[in-house]
Amino acid sequence: MFFIPGIVITVLTFPGVIVHEAGHLFFCRLFGLQVYDVCFFRFKNPAGYVIHEVSDDFTAQFFVSIGPFISNTVLCVLFCTAAFLPVWELKIADPLAYFFYWLGLSIGMHAFPSTTDLKHLWERAPALAKKGNALAIVSLPLAGILVILNYGRVVWADLGYGILVGVLGPIAIFKALV
Amino acid sequence: MKRTSCSRCTSSVFLKDSLTSNGKIYCEACAVDFLNETKASGQPAIFARNIDPSICALCGKDNTIGDFGFRKKLPLCETCGPKVERWPYPQWLRLSLAGLIILLAASLVHGRSYFHAGRELYLGEKLIKQAKFAEAEAHLKETVRIAPLSDKAVLLLAKAALLTGDVQTASKALQGHNDGNFEDGQSADFLEMKALWDRAIAAVGKINKAAELANQDGREQEAAKLGHEAAQQYPESPMLRYSARELDAAVAFAKKDYDGFLSIEQGSYAQHPDGSTAGGVANAWACKYAMTGDPESKRQAEEFFAKAEQLSQADPELQKEFEEYGPRIRYRIDSRQIITKREYDQKFRSHQKEKAAK
Repeated sequence: MFFIPGIVITVLTFPGVIVHEAGHLFFCRLFGLQVYDVCFFRFKNPAGYVIHEVSDDFTAQFFVSIGPFISNTVLCVLFCTAAFLPVWELKIADPLAYFFYWLGLSIGMHAFPSTTDLKHLWERAPALAKKGNALAIVSLPLAGILVILNYGRVVWADLGYGILVGVLGPIAIFKALV
Repeated sequence: MKRTSCSRCTSSVFLKDSLTSNGKIYCEACAVDFLNETKASGQPAIFARNIDPSICALCGKDNTIGDFGFRKKLPLCETCGPKVERWPYPQWLRLSLAGLIILLAASLVHGRSYFHAGRELYLGEKLIKQAKFAEAEAHLKETVRIAPLSDKAVLLLAKAALLTGDVQTASKALQGHNDGNFEDGQSADFLEMKALWDRAIAAVGKINKAAELANQDGREQEAAKLGHEAAQQYPESPMLRYSARELDAAVAFAKKDYDGFLSIEQGSYAQHPDGSTAGGVANAWACKYAMTGDPESKRQAEEFFAKAEQLSQADPELQKEFEEYGPRIRYRIDSRQIITKREYDQKFRSHQKEKAAK
């Protein structure tokens, strides 16, 4: 395993950061949460953030925290699907396809919610899960896996996730269509 | 900007700079002292920063004529209030999104042929799994036409072609792909195709050798044996099966077993009626007529001769073949003489070659 400074990876995959923060903002607006500050990209850690009110509504909290994970994953599959065939299967050197594949992978790489995002869920989910809240039940294992994956970033778990989604997603789509 | 007084030191401080703990107001310095004291007692105090309703919580604007309205828990000015409630998407983000959507649409239109090729690829792969090799070959040919450098498509096409006995298509696909070089020469797909290819090529080599032997008088038996070995080695090839039968026919002809010769040629024609097999039946009937003088044999020979001529016109290759063997059958019917190809060539074609050489 070779070491590349995180900031270099972040710069190379900057569209993913922007899409991730835009996802947070989108869900904040969707659930009517107050937003106090937004940074879509900067050369610091964290590379982007959305400061918003902590909602009492668990559904809103769930989607604001996990929303970017879902939207980044969906967009990763979408962009990679547009480019998957020429890049992987057909071996056609099409610059536009490579651009979309880079875009898709960048977005997929930044799908994981931050540990701060997950902390709010992790704190509230157990009590609500006991009361039978479906989202809370779902969010417990999901948040657990995502926390582990977040720590796995040091061994490129985020890149691995992007590639996995960017390859398996399009294959699943095409096989389902044929 | 509102002011308040510290409950400990009684000094006047700005409300926004004060903190509250257990209902008591502290200035920042006293809050630190109080915190240290409570920490020492083992029950540290919890503080909340006081909010000055006359100052906007976001931009810090001072409302000189009164308080700002609270939006949820914070006082916000008339500019920040709506912004916080519905934070705007920046213009560059909107434009980037619009640009991406246009680019994505353009990419999808531009990549129509890729989607077509991909669909054919997956369809071909699926058909191979269902052992429908001939159907798969047609789909995979389309993929390879668009993407001749695709390892997967070429390997699948070669596999499908070899499993239908179509060595020519397999060879063309493999040679058109980086001169037969593949990224991973150890992949299971490559090794599977290579095993098939090696088997097919070895069998084709044997059948070519058998054809050479068949052209040498007296070695027909040896040729037929080799031909059957080739057909067994590569049973997927109908062409090898047909060739092996033709070699059996050559043996029967050499043994002057014209009934056996006719039976084999009729079997070939029944299985695959074309100019070549019709020519074989015409040849066998011509032999029978030459031996017996039976008019029915002559009629059958003429009928199949005409059929061979007609069916051969559909294919330039068959037409060329007919131009070679047609005159020999005609000679056999007209003269009732049974001579081998070599004898016929020596008698009628050697001077043509000499002429051509001059």
